Amino acid sequence: MSLLEMCGMENAGSFRSENSLSQDISQFCRNFESNIQLGVPPFANPAQNLAQLNKDDAGRDIKIEFDHGTTTLGFMYQGGVVLAVDSRATGGQFIGSQTMKKIVEINDFLLGTLAGGAADCVYWDRVLAKQCRLYELRNRERISVAAASKLMSNMVYNYKNMGLSIGMMLAGWDKRGPQLYYIDSEGTRTPGKVFSVGSGSIYAFGVLDSGYKWDLTDAEAYDLGRRAIYHATHRDAYSGGIVRVYHMKQSGWIHIDNNDCNDLHYKYQAEKQAIQSV
Amino acid sequence: MSSILCPEIPSPGFSFENCRRNAMLEVKGHAMPKAQKTGTTIVGIIYKDGVILGADTRATEDTTVADKNCEKIHYLAPNMYCCGAGTAADTEMTTQMVASQLELHRLYTNRVVRVATANQMLKQYLFRYQGYIGAALVLGGVDSTGPNLYCIYPHGSTDKLPYTTMGSGSLAAMAVFESRWKPDLEEAEGIKLVRDAIAAGIFNDLGSGSNVDVCVIKKGSVDYKRTYDEANIKGQKQNSYKYPRGVTDVLSTKVVDIEEVSVRVIGAPEDMEIA
Amino acid sequence: MSILAYNGGAMVAMKGENCVAIAADRRFGIQAQTLATNFEKVFEMGPHLYVGLPGLATDTQTVREKLRFRKNLYELKENRLMSPKVFSAMLSHMLYEKRFGPFFVEPVVAGLDPKTYEPFICNMDLIGCINQPKDFVVGGTASAQLYGMCEALWEPNLGPEDLFETISQALINAFDRDAVSGWGATVYIIEKDKVTIKNLKTRMD
Repeated sequence: MSLLEMCGMENAGSFRSENSLSQDISQFCRNFESNIQLGVPPFANPAQNLAQLNKDDAGRDIKIEFDHGTTTLGFMYQGGVVLAVDSRATGGQFIGSQTMKKIVEINDFLLGTLAGGAADCVYWDRVLAKQCRLYELRNRERISVAAASKLMSNMVYNYKNMGLSIGMMLAGWDKRGPQLYYIDSEGTRTPGKVFSVGSGSIYAFGVLDSGYKWDLTDAEAYDLGRRAIYHATHRDAYSGGIVRVYHMKQSGWIHIDNNDCNDLHYKYQAEKQAIQSV
Repeated sequence: MSSILCPEIPSPGFSFENCRRNAMLEVKGHAMPKAQKTGTTIVGIIYKDGVILGADTRATEDTTVADKNCEKIHYLAPNMYCCGAGTAADTEMTTQMVASQLELHRLYTNRVVRVATANQMLKQYLFRYQGYIGAALVLGGVDSTGPNLYCIYPHGSTDKLPYTTMGSGSLAAMAVFESRWKPDLEEAEGIKLVRDAIAAGIFNDLGSGSNVDVCVIKKGSVDYKRTYDEANIKGQKQNSYKYPRGVTDVLSTKVVDIEEVSVRVIGAPEDMEIA
Repeated sequence: MSILAYNGGAMVAMKGENCVAIAADRRFGIQAQTLATNFEKVFEMGPHLYVGLPGLATDTQTVREKLRFRKNLYELKENRLMSPKVFSAMLSHMLYEKRFGPFFVEPVVAGLDPKTYEPFICNMDLIGCINQPKDFVVGGTASAQLYGMCEALWEPNLGPEDLFETISQALINAFDRDAVSGWGATVYIIEKDKVTIKNLKTRMD
């Protein structure tokens, strides 16, 4: 067996290849059959080396700007877990969508939030949803949030440093009660009480930390989440659109409401003026 | 003290005072913006009685059409015009400056300025800046030596030619000239040829577009045909998308009335008080 | 990210029937962070003359002061108002002087001639190449979106009221698709006998 064949190069340099299609399918469409296997570029260190391909022959940057930029938050309190997110998707400074759904309903007792590369998040959340369903069918019980989050972090860890960009929160209610996890494409997986993820998270944390208590009522918790996201959308250029609020309860998640940031701004402004005038 | 009340006339030429700051910004990773380019087809030919210049009218900023009908045939002297391609500001400013020098030269010598003089001024100026002034020019005119046509490159080299093209559409335009130009063309034939060359650039080069400008220079007369041919006629809008009045939410309105501006007349100087 | 987009900002000027309008957003930010929503980018340079300077905010203010100085000196020397055409030529040459180390502004000029009240609009690139179309000019980070909006909305012979709606909607809808501009807008409608300045209610995200 020649070196040429060993390297799989026997067809290199000619277009004449009967099995090129099936080869392509087996090499680059593996995720059709096993969707945790992505086609990886055929060279070492794809994360570093892919960057070299982002220049054209004149040395100019080829603009590939993935949808990015988000504010998401989640916190636990006495009534369960509240998740609140914005809905803006930007590619560079262009606003691609103002109505994106950044909370994924994985099943009745699991919610995931998206931040980072929009395509990465949507894809891997979908794979996670499938894995969770398979777990349910195999084991006749719902997957725990701890297990689901580990599944997710292990899946994306395989692609560490290859350019995936994910920062998600996983909220759920299982045998052990309400749960909230943070997972990202660097491999972090950590449970916690209060998280905020995305470009606007610093602003959201400001509001969240100042208003957060364990014994918030449901209505107070929703309002805190909503306000935190609204203030983040006001300050952060890459967050905006609609504020969506979800509540994870013992009986499963419920969707509280959607509010346009525009309405919220003028509502909060009117409230502030009313207080000042008193 | 005098410098505060009466600031000195700033020294002529370029100012480099922002350069260090801008270089610093570039090092910090902020991309430098691109200037407006003409991305052009410009041409010139010599015909029986003189010179014909032609240009398209598109100006681009990266991939955006910044101006759909810009003027690329610049005035230099009563017997001389100059087409410009490359960085739009450079072609505009360079030709303006040379035009003023030529006018002073004309007044000083009391003669019709020769095209060769303008060519020399332009090439020396461009050579001095080593190509950093991105002006590619087609200079044409008629003087005591007859019709003259020059092609001037941004680095300062020049060609004296019977027919020439410049800009990103120069290849398309030159294809037309190479197949159809011949010595001693009639005026109508010449104009047709120039129009076709520019049209070739407009239709085959993405950097060129919109209309055809033509300038015919003969001994003692210039015929500047601005928008000689509208190569791309814009379709009529089928609908009016006008917003009805009152749809825009207004937070506050301020109206500033302007009185009829009267000319301020300075009265006669009063008698000086001599005590 | 280009340095022209560092602070964000969108601007547009339009010609109407015996009037002109110029409008700009009110955001002042540093990249993604919005610092203020009352930042002026359009400046009065005469009773009928306004200039907008979108781009890097530090240069917006520097160029504004330089222009004010030169314009005042001109008016003192000549004892007459500066016409928009003269003003634009002055600005263009001021920017071209810094050809190899430019100010990062893309100016938009709108005004009426002080004698004939002829509408005038123009814009320039950052080294002073004047562009003087018959309909509208744009500048700033949302310029691609503004070109699209204006190309669809603008029509000839708009009166001051219709011009206001057209320019406002063009601006608002353009910067609603741009992350780094928006947060309020100011519109100036310049007529022979008055200038109307309106602050618009817009999205604040």
